[in-house]
Amino acid sequence: MISRRKALRTGAGLAAIAAVGAPSILHAQTKTLKITTWGGKWGEVMKATVLPAFEKEFKCTVSADQAFPFLPKLQVSSKNDPIYDVLHTNSNEQWNAVVEGLVMAKITAKEVPNIADVYPYAVSDKIVGVTIFTSAIGLGFRTDKGLTKPTSWKDLADPKLAGARGGYLIPVNSLGQAHLMMLGKVYGKGLTDLDAAYKALEALKPIKLVDFTGQMEKMLLSAEVSMGVIHDSGVYRYEGANMQPVDFASPSEGVLALEQVLNVTPGSKVKELAFAYIDYMLRPDVQKLLAEAVWYSPANKKVKLEAKYDAKLLTTPEKVATLIQPDWKWYNARREDIDARVTKILKG
Amino acid sequence: MSAAPNRRPFDVGRAAYLTLNALLLAFLLLPIAIVLVFALNPTPYISFPPVGVSLRWFEKFFGSAEFMNALWLSLWVASVVLVLSIVIGAACALALARGNLPGRAVMTAFFMSPLMVPAILTGLALFQAYLLSGIGRPVWGLIAAHTLVAVPYVIRTTLAVLHNFDRRIEEAAAVLGASPTRVFFEVTLPLIRPGVFAGGVFAFIVSFDQFPVSLFLVVPKGETLPVVLFNYMKFDLDGAIAAASMVSILLALSVVLVLERLIGLKAYVKL
Repeated sequence: MISRRKALRTGAGLAAIAAVGAPSILHAQTKTLKITTWGGKWGEVMKATVLPAFEKEFKCTVSADQAFPFLPKLQVSSKNDPIYDVLHTNSNEQWNAVVEGLVMAKITAKEVPNIADVYPYAVSDKIVGVTIFTSAIGLGFRTDKGLTKPTSWKDLADPKLAGARGGYLIPVNSLGQAHLMMLGKVYGKGLTDLDAAYKALEALKPIKLVDFTGQMEKMLLSAEVSMGVIHDSGVYRYEGANMQPVDFASPSEGVLALEQVLNVTPGSKVKELAFAYIDYMLRPDVQKLLAEAVWYSPANKKVKLEAKYDAKLLTTPEKVATLIQPDWKWYNARREDIDARVTKILKG
Repeated sequence: MSAAPNRRPFDVGRAAYLTLNALLLAFLLLPIAIVLVFALNPTPYISFPPVGVSLRWFEKFFGSAEFMNALWLSLWVASVVLVLSIVIGAACALALARGNLPGRAVMTAFFMSPLMVPAILTGLALFQAYLLSGIGRPVWGLIAAHTLVAVPYVIRTTLAVLHNFDRRIEEAAAVLGASPTRVFFEVTLPLIRPGVFAGGVFAFIVSFDQFPVSLFLVVPKGETLPVVLFNYMKFDLDGAIAAASMVSILLALSVVLVLERLIGLKAYVKL
C-alpha cells in the first residue's frame, strides 16, 4: 500500500513536472472539467494528489462525481450540455453509453498522445474509449481451508465448496456477467455459448451471491466463503493490512479483464481539456501512483512498478496476453434475456 | 386465620400479550443491537461472533472529513426541511380541513402523492426537471426535493389532530374579542402543535435518512450521509458503515427525545 508521505511526495513530483515540462496539449483557463471517478482508496488518492496536480497544471477545476449511478445521470442530461465531460466506468457501461451516443466511439493517439504507449487491449475492438487500468478477474481463495490453489475455473465447482463458494448477482454486477461468459468458454464452445454457461451456473449451486466486489472481499476475509470470483486488486490490496489467509489464483483458461475505461462525451464544452485529462491519467507517473495505491495493472507499457507490484500485476506483454476481454456489445444486446434466465436459475 | 397470599392466577391471555410484545420489541431492536456489535468489532470486515471491543470504526468515521462533511450537510438539510415541512404542511392541513375548498379530496391525494410514487422516480424526475430548466443541482434544490417528500407526513399528522379539534374553543376566543391572528397563535396553534411537531419529527428523519431522492440531486463535495455511505460500501465494506449507522440512529433518537422534552409528543399519543 502506498503511504501518505509517498503519495504527497509523488504529488509534489507531479506538480513539479507540471511546472517545468509544459505539455503540448492544452493549458485551459479556469475551466471546470466534470468527471466521474471511483471512491475508496482510488478516490482518496485522486482527491489528495492526482486531481490537485492536474488542476494546477491545467489551471482548471475538476468536479469529480463519486456518487453512483453515473450512466442514468448522463442519460437524463442534455447531450449538448452533458453533466459529465469524462465518463469513468467499467467497459460494459461504456458500451451501453456509446449505443445511445453518450460517449465517443473511439479515442486515438491524435487526441490523447499517450495512447501510443498503451497495451493493445486498452484500445482493442472490445473497448469504447480507452482503458487506463485493468484488473484480472480470477478466483480468490482461503489458504487455510485445505484447498489446493485453483488452476482452473472448473475448480469453483468442486463439491467440497458447496455453500462456501461466492459469486455475484449477475444482473447488477459486471464480474458476475463476465464470469457467466467465462463459464460458456470453459464448459462450452466459447464466451458466447450461453446454454453451456447456464448449465455450468446451475452446477455451482449452492453459491453465496453478493452485489458488490467489496462484499466478496469481506466474505473471503471473514471466511464466509472459501473461494469466490474476484478481481486481483480485491485480494492484493489487503496485503499488509491484515493477516487473513486469502490469495488470488489466475486460472489456466485465462483471466477476465475488468477494465477501467475513460471516455469523452461528444457534447462536452471542454473537450480538449477532457482529452488532456485522459492523457494525464495515462502518464507513467500518474499510472504508477494509482497502480501501486489500488493494485490495478497500468495500461501504459512504459510504467515501471516497484518489484512487489510488478510481480503480481499484468505488466509484461506475456502476462497481458492472459487477459480475456468479453464482448460487452454482444452481452448488452442480450442482457434482458440473460438476466431473466440467470435469475430463474439462481433463485431456485 | 392467616391471609391467603395475594397471587394473581396465571393468565394465558396476558402471558401471550406480553410474549407478543417482547417478540415485537426484539424484532425492532435486534437489528440495532447487531449493528452495534459490528460497530464495536475491531476486525476489518463484518463478522460474527465479534473478536473484541474497539472504537476504531467510530474513530475512522469521526476522523474522516468526507463522512463529517456529509453528516453536517445531512443535519443541516434535515433541519431546514423540518422547518419548511412544518410551515407548509400545517398550512396545507388547515386549508384542507377547514378551507371548504372545491376538490378537497383530489387536493389531499395530490399532496399525499409523493408518498405513493417511488422515491427513486421522484429523484430522477426532479433531477431531469432541474437540468432542463438550467437550475443545475443547487443545495436548495435538494432541500426542496426533501421537503416535497416530507410535507405529507406533517399534513397527515396535523389532519389527525384537526379531526378531533373542538372549534368552539376558537369561537369562544373570537367572541371574547381575539383577532383571527391572535386566535390562531394563542388557541389553534397550541392545540394542533403536537400533531405538527410529530410530523416535523418524521420530516426530519425522512430527510436525514433520505437516499433515493438524494441519489440524483447531490453534487460532488456536497453529498449527504446516506449517499456517501452507499458509495463507501461499494469499495470498503468495514465497520465504519456500522459506526455511521449507529451515529445516525442515535442522532435521530436524540431529535425525538429533544422534541419530546420541548413540546411533549406524549400529548399527541394521548389524542
